[in-house]
Amino acid sequence: MTKKQIFITSAFTENSVWKQILGICSALAVTNIMMNSLVMGLGVIFTLALSSLSISLIRNYIPRRVRMMVQTLIIASYVIIVDIFLKAYFPEISKSLGPYVGLIITNCIIMGRMEAFAAKNRPVEAMIDGIGAGVGYTLVLLIISFVRELFGFGSLFGLQILGGWWTNWSIMVMAPSAFFMLAILIWIIEGPLAARRSARKV
Amino acid sequence: MSGGKVSFIDSKGYPVIFMILITMLFIGILATFYHATIDRISIYQEISYRKALLDLFGLPQDNIEADYSNYIRKIVKDNIQYYEASRDSNLIGYAFEIKGNGLWGTITALIAVNQDITRLLKIEILSQNETPGLGGRITEKWFKNQFSNKLIWEDGALIQFNLVPENEEISDSQIRQITGATSSSKAVVDMIFRNLQKINEKMDLTND
Repeated sequence: MTKKQIFITSAFTENSVWKQILGICSALAVTNIMMNSLVMGLGVIFTLALSSLSISLIRNYIPRRVRMMVQTLIIASYVIIVDIFLKAYFPEISKSLGPYVGLIITNCIIMGRMEAFAAKNRPVEAMIDGIGAGVGYTLVLLIISFVRELFGFGSLFGLQILGGWWTNWSIMVMAPSAFFMLAILIWIIEGPLAARRSARKV
Repeated sequence: MSGGKVSFIDSKGYPVIFMILITMLFIGILATFYHATIDRISIYQEISYRKALLDLFGLPQDNIEADYSNYIRKIVKDNIQYYEASRDSNLIGYAFEIKGNGLWGTITALIAVNQDITRLLKIEILSQNETPGLGGRITEKWFKNQFSNKLIWEDGALIQFNLVPENEEISDSQIRQITGATSSSKAVVDMIFRNLQKINEKMDLTND
């Protein structure tokens, strides 16, 4: 596989959220405001890229029996760096994300990519795969939060879009709506879109 | 390695040594990063705290350091710590840091009262872990501003605020709650009431 193929596979064809149904917890939690989703996505991309690189660099030396401990340690370290970085340079965003940044550690996508790709491939490829998976995840967060913020607050990235005539849908702000949005998104991609794609191939 | 001899990488001690080394390496990286940013973080926290205090009393915030030392004095007396604000040697009021239980965790806030503790001047939420987008909205201006200049002491008793739905008109003793976040709204109102009770007792003692 070329580097471009690795990226496209991990970001779109094998997208962690809509193909593998990973990272759902955070996709539900932070997607009611676009800004939070974007920062969360960037945090995950950073963590994925560097964790993949680090794991891949030492992949031949990691003892098999403790590999998960090593992966968790490395992932946790990068997440704490993201957390400290936000606290120091973007305190407002850090405040609004609260505990969710720390919870990137438990994002299944990261552990999944470490096990499935970084532990078996060369550093540059592993890093590209990590960035790809992160971009795919961020894309899903942004799509869901676009709908949720627009209907829930009438705004996008905090900018008021819909006027006073608009009644905010409280359900969009609450977690259950993320379930509906995610389900609809998966259905669109795996249903009609996938059908059209295969029809074109034939 | 051949000949029945176990190579180092397959030996039982290897995972332990590997784990120790890699932990030390990453803890080292984290410690360095932490030390490089700790000053920045604590300076920011100090400044935003002082800015919040100045804001509570409607004082100028052009130069946080200078304005803070001009107008605000920290007082620790009889197990109670508070801030006293005065301008041109006129006492404006007092500010207290208060805590209360929110839906998911502790809410910390600053409240400012006038000099005879009969009116709230303003409140500011310092930290909270409420649901983002719902209870988290207790930090929004419209919600906090409802508490500004509220009468809290009438006919020798503390006034307890009632909650009404978000889009309704409010009277003096009412606060509009956040839709979908009744518990968080109530937590803030209760926290203010309970702490004002304590403050009243303690400040009365100190005035005597």
